[in-house]
Amino acid sequence: MEVLPKVESVKEVTAASTLMLKSNPNRPERAQEVDLSQYPTSYKENSPQEKLLLAIADNFCCQYMHLYPDRKPLLLCPLNECGVQKCVSTTLRPTLLSYPELYSWEGCASFVSEFLSLELLDPPIDPPRHLYSPTWLMQTQRGSCFDFSTLLCSLLLGAGYNAYCVSGYAVKEMCLLNQSLQECPLLGKATEQKRQVKKYSVKPPRDLRSGFEQRQEERRQSDAQAILLKKQQEAERLQEERERLPPDPLLGLRVHCWVLILSGNREVPENFFIDPLTGKSLSTTNKCFLGIESIWNHQNYWVNMQDCRFGCAEMNFDLGDAVKWEYLLYGTTGQSLLLIPDMKKQQEAEDDEEEEVDDPKVFEMPPSWVNQINISQQDMETRCPGGMKVIQYRKAKLEKFAPYLLPDGLVTRLTTYSDLDCDTVKEWYQHRHDHLEERELKKTSNVNIEHFRPGRSYALKSHRYITMAPETERQMDFYSHARADGLARRVEMPFEMTETFEDRPDFIYHRHVVFGKRVKVFGPSNTEVVERFNRDRSKPAGEDVAERIFLVSEDRIQVTYHREDDRIIPAWRNFIKPRDSGDSQNPHSFTPQMASTFQVDPFEKPSKNLFLYEMLVHMMKEEERVALKVKESEKEVRAILGVREQEESSIELHISIYNTARNERARCHREALERTAKEERLRQEEKELDFLAPFLAQLGDPENLTRQAALQLRNDCLADLKQRLIDKANLIQARFERETQELQQKQQWYQKNQLTMTKEDEDEYLAYCSDAMFRIHILKLRLSRHKDKAPQKYMALDERLRRDPRLKATQGCFGHGFDVQL
Amino acid sequence: MSRLYDTAEPSLVDEELLQKAVEEQGPQDQAGQIAKEEGIQYDEVCQLRLDYKNILKIDHLWQFTSLTKLQLDNNIIEKIEGLGRLTNLKWLDLSFNNIEGIEGLDSLVKLEDLSLYNNRISVIENMDTLLNLHVLSIGNNFLAQLENVIYLRKFKNLRTLNLAGNPICKEDRYKIFVAAYLPELVYLDFRLLDEQTREQAFGKYQYAIEEMRHNEAQERRAMDARQEQEDELKLHRDAFVELLNGPYLFDSMYADDAEAAKLAYLPGVSVLLETYKNHLVALCVQVFEIGLAQRGRREDEVKSFFDCSREAVDDNQQRAAQIAADFEKARRQVMSEMQQATDTRLLEAQMNHCSEEINQLCDSLMTQELQLVDQLEDIIKDFERNISDMVAGFIEVVQGIFAQCRDLENHHHEKLLEIAVATLERVAKNELEEDMPDDVRMLFVDKDTVINAVSGSHDTHLLKIDNREDELMTRCNSWMSALMKSVQDEEVKRNRKRISEIHNYIDYVRDQLDEMQHEHH
Repeated sequence: MEVLPKVESVKEVTAASTLMLKSNPNRPERAQEVDLSQYPTSYKENSPQEKLLLAIADNFCCQYMHLYPDRKPLLLCPLNECGVQKCVSTTLRPTLLSYPELYSWEGCASFVSEFLSLELLDPPIDPPRHLYSPTWLMQTQRGSCFDFSTLLCSLLLGAGYNAYCVSGYAVKEMCLLNQSLQECPLLGKATEQKRQVKKYSVKPPRDLRSGFEQRQEERRQSDAQAILLKKQQEAERLQEERERLPPDPLLGLRVHCWVLILSGNREVPENFFIDPLTGKSLSTTNKCFLGIESIWNHQNYWVNMQDCRFGCAEMNFDLGDAVKWEYLLYGTTGQSLLLIPDMKKQQEAEDDEEEEVDDPKVFEMPPSWVNQINISQQDMETRCPGGMKVIQYRKAKLEKFAPYLLPDGLVTRLTTYSDLDCDTVKEWYQHRHDHLEERELKKTSNVNIEHFRPGRSYALKSHRYITMAPETERQMDFYSHARADGLARRVEMPFEMTETFEDRPDFIYHRHVVFGKRVKVFGPSNTEVVERFNRDRSKPAGEDVAERIFLVSEDRIQVTYHREDDRIIPAWRNFIKPRDSGDSQNPHSFTPQMASTFQVDPFEKPSKNLFLYEMLVHMMKEEERVALKVKESEKEVRAILGVREQEESSIELHISIYNTARNERARCHREALERTAKEERLRQEEKELDFLAPFLAQLGDPENLTRQAALQLRNDCLADLKQRLIDKANLIQARFERETQELQQKQQWYQKNQLTMTKEDEDEYLAYCSDAMFRIHILKLRLSRHKDKAPQKYMALDERLRRDPRLKATQGCFGHGFDVQL
Repeated sequence: MSRLYDTAEPSLVDEELLQKAVEEQGPQDQAGQIAKEEGIQYDEVCQLRLDYKNILKIDHLWQFTSLTKLQLDNNIIEKIEGLGRLTNLKWLDLSFNNIEGIEGLDSLVKLEDLSLYNNRISVIENMDTLLNLHVLSIGNNFLAQLENVIYLRKFKNLRTLNLAGNPICKEDRYKIFVAAYLPELVYLDFRLLDEQTREQAFGKYQYAIEEMRHNEAQERRAMDARQEQEDELKLHRDAFVELLNGPYLFDSMYADDAEAAKLAYLPGVSVLLETYKNHLVALCVQVFEIGLAQRGRREDEVKSFFDCSREAVDDNQQRAAQIAADFEKARRQVMSEMQQATDTRLLEAQMNHCSEEINQLCDSLMTQELQLVDQLEDIIKDFERNISDMVAGFIEVVQGIFAQCRDLENHHHEKLLEIAVATLERVAKNELEEDMPDDVRMLFVDKDTVINAVSGSHDTHLLKIDNREDELMTRCNSWMSALMKSVQDEEVKRNRKRISEIHNYIDYVRDQLDEMQHEHH
């Protein structure tokens, strides 16, 4: 039995990993940072418990090989990243993380499938020689299907699922993560609704057409349909043939590893598989799974004894049945798993020694050698290696990006194809400042559809357009409840505009405007406006306007009322507008011929002229108001288009104030705080600089100072400072004098040669003079300041020396008048 | 102020005055001219102002039935009268008059704003029906009793009240009292009632108000309970099994039966009666439960029928309306084209085409209607059959149970007879130990009397049972026939209305076409 790692194997691992790095240039560089020496000893050595386990496993394998020479060797104790043999069960490390989305199996599976990228098995018909720990996986983000399953199973066990890793065989597409034959899950299908049949539903009206003719027609149609159907079938068959893959020569031999969840825990109603590569759940009878060799969790290991010639459809997962499942360790059955593995493990650890003494026969799986899995916030957010992942589906390509990765906030892009051409591109965005959520581009018709989250200006919900130019075909939907005018939709065509409203107090729900030819100055003038209203139940039907049509170009107004509940013909009034546009002095001339009325009830009294006149006046006022509204709508469209264009040209992403990693201001604030703290610390250190140290050193660092020595020390110290101050003053003075002298010389030189000088020389001289004067002035200032400060500095030192505990001996000795003598 | 005009001659509300007021206050300018040409009907006037007219007596206003606002302020009116027909009135101003009592407002239930400012009123009364009142102005009157305010509690919508200038305002507790008793009030005497006053008022009159509120709540609860009871009884009545969920039938059988009461004194009869009662009540309850269940089924059936027929009618109506609307649109187009057309021959052709279209429309609308009539006839027949089956089934079951009741009665009668005969024998032999009341003893003078008494009682009981059964059956059957009659009547009415509607429209369209023809000739 080999317990200690061989030197060769370590080399092999590192060689393999470097090879891996070279082979994939896209790889993030984080793998290089993996430092195996940092790993704890449990990764590099085996504990006595584990050694015992390895012995048992080796024995088990030997027996198995002997009994079933036809079957493939089991994957029981592969090498880990440090080249140490470790049992697969101890590689599982049940961990419950603090992210709520990792509490459900869906969340875990999708995380694992997105977080890791696949390394194919080589050769595909053998299980791998290495099984890496989840720690390694978290750092490299690469692994084989076995590594995927190990990580996923660890998370699922931590979340309380009854989960197992399954080693077995699957079809090629699954092993190679080839989803190009599957429909994209994002392309959902609409559901149909059933209609309910009532007891007294009326029979449809009797059909009076000839039965013979109908039959003839039917026959003709069915013939045509049959031909069509045949063609369709033919086409489908061809399509299928084209898409069908060549038969796989390795069918049934390709090794795969996936996860099994047994029912019982966490309200799982029935057993199912999870493919860790796609993160999807599959039924245990799925045809993709061709056979199972063995399964394991963190407590035991079982070998399948059932026949897998016909796939896994009839597999029984009762792990307590020793005939169907051969266990590695006696005593821990599949059913006795606890919900909280961590606690159990602790107990086990405590009980271990006693048990060994009491009952050496029952050997329990030693605790995992792997450290707790740790997923950083950033990994959780970035997910895919490098923050992006591309998946090919059948006639569709799905690209995923981490939030904030792309400057325009794109998180998902779905491109669908019809045969060869790109058909539609659908893009999903996050954190956009302009609230854009989704954009769909139909390549064939060149139509763009944009969807927005609530909260935009003008409550825009979606925008369908071909070009952004105004007065072209477009459709805008709005969040009507957020708008004062309740506008839900505005559809524009060249020369037409239709608006739809919701929940309006004046009951209008539809306004359709037809524009006439464009007049140069005034813009397009509307020739026809149609407004429709919902029924207002507080009014009688005959007074509740259903539709009013302003035929502006014909000077006519048509008003139609609602139908009464049991009538089919509504009442209406048609008006012809008076030719002379009336003003207050000269009101409209009104004749009864201007209005024509249809009354539903012939016995009703015809309405009075006064009423008709007032209505006409009202309608004319309304016409003006509506024209204004239409103008406003056009203005709004232009405003929205302007805003959109500006937003698209400078895309901003919204960063939550709680997002401390990205919020620029918050980060600046934090950094500023850190900086000031650091400065403060430095200052503190400086303050504590010991100025007595050199003098004490001269005396040989004595423990205690005599009064004499202390006095001496103090005097020395003060004298030293005095000397330094004087030196400094002298230095400044010397410089000052030199500058003055030079200036004087220069001035003399200038006076001598003033007449013979060129213009440039003169300029140079003047420049020099001003410079020199400036320097002299500065020196003068410095000198005077030094003179002021020097006594203060001296006094400060004196004060500090007096307070210094080491110079206590000098107490009571005052009076050192001091003045800097220059 | 009315007093200023005391010297002037009091005037009356007469035709001239009204005409003038209506014309002055009616529409102006162009509209006024049109109105004048047409003549103004008094029943169309919505507002009328008759102030400063020195009116003594309100009269001649009965024609103004659609009036919503009437101003009669600054007159010398002494009595509110002649307003009974102005039921649409919302706004009534009677301020600055000499009114002494509130009266004659009972029919003005829509009144929202009433002003009685500056009159001689001393009691708030006779306003029980004005439940929509929002604003009441009754300042400058002779109100002396603060308790008048309590009368205003019944106006749940009252928000503004003016009492200023009454004797009651001089009382210290005036404001607090009003605030306490009218908690919904917002403005009092032109001022907002602030929160502080309200709190103070609540603190002071807490107990009185609590008590009042408690009483009111109790009254409401009692009313609700009564209502609930009535509803339940109505439900039972609709199921035709009212008063069968208890010993009511049994009690009624014995209520008018003097003989039975006497016979009850016989030994052993009380036990017999007890078991008889239990059995009968059990049967009654059975009928009751079946009745309720059947009623539920009938209700569902009726509902389902009406739903479907309404759906069919709506659907048909929708289609017909669409046809009519399409036609109307096309017609307008054609009419406007024809108006501009000049070529006579072309016009002629268009006219012909048009009238053909009209005929076609008439046909298609009529076809729709006929189809609907057919369809509805079918389902009405189905419905009638189902409902009558249901009723027949129900009656059959009930009859069976009532037969059991009769058997029970017969059985009881036999037993009773046996006891009676035995008792008679013992009386004859003078063996009777118990003493009997004299009137009971009187029965046992001879055999005939006893047997007559017993069978008399028996007959009464049987009659009661039969009556109850008959009542149930007749009511059930009459309900069914009334329902079917109403269904059929409704259908006929609907059909006639539709046909007349189609004709009306077709006539109108034809008239228009003819008119156009005349114009062109």
